[in-house]
Amino acid sequence: MPRMHTGKDWGGALEENGGRSTRCSARQGGPIQMENPYKEPPKRCVLCGINVDYKNVQLLSQFVSPHTGRIYGRHITGLCNKKQKEITKAIKRAQVIGFMPVMFKNPAFLTDPKICNIKYPE
Amino acid sequence: MPRYELALIVKVMQRPETAAVLKRTVEALMERGAVVRNLENLGERSLPYKISKHKERHRRGGYFLIDLEAPPTIVTTMMDHLGRDIDVIRRAFIKHPLSKTEECSGIIPVNYNDKLIAKK
Repeated sequence: MPRMHTGKDWGGALEENGGRSTRCSARQGGPIQMENPYKEPPKRCVLCGINVDYKNVQLLSQFVSPHTGRIYGRHITGLCNKKQKEITKAIKRAQVIGFMPVMFKNPAFLTDPKICNIKYPE
Repeated sequence: MPRYELALIVKVMQRPETAAVLKRTVEALMERGAVVRNLENLGERSLPYKISKHKERHRRGGYFLIDLEAPPTIVTTMMDHLGRDIDVIRRAFIKHPLSKTEECSGIIPVNYNDKLIAKK
């Protein structure tokens, strides 16, 4: 005689733990433990995945003030820890070696797209 | 694997003279046991600031980049040697920046609460 399939049979799940398994907790009215399916991917900063080089003066000049040539802080650039440090080191290096001006921003790069808006720091 | 990059700023000169400077630089490097991989010309540009070197004020310079593999002992000797060369405005040895940005996983939110509580 074929086994009687009741409406409560969950395909073998009932056979574990004497009829009460952890997977059936939804039946008892509790939430199933799982990873957050709506989790957003971690926020990336502007330079995530971009290689920072001291020779790339145009990129470095985007993080420097056009009036004084000073390097913008983390709260203005919005970069993550690692990238901010890399940029600072690269700018200092480029300035010493003679690739990038120190007291001002290279006029050729003044019309570049603005990444850091100093008026509304993050 | 490229070990060093030599960033060189050379005085503005006619082509044969610039060629002579580069030639003797590379020869000096090879004499000391370096293997020159590549020599790039980044063009002749105006310097970001006026540089005074060897009793001359320079406003323009020829930028060159030499990647080479070399034993670390030659760095000081080469810097000395290039310092004596009157046609070289600025020299710098840099460890070759191999691309290493494959694992940038974005900003991981830091739990500042935990940092305040002292761990025992």
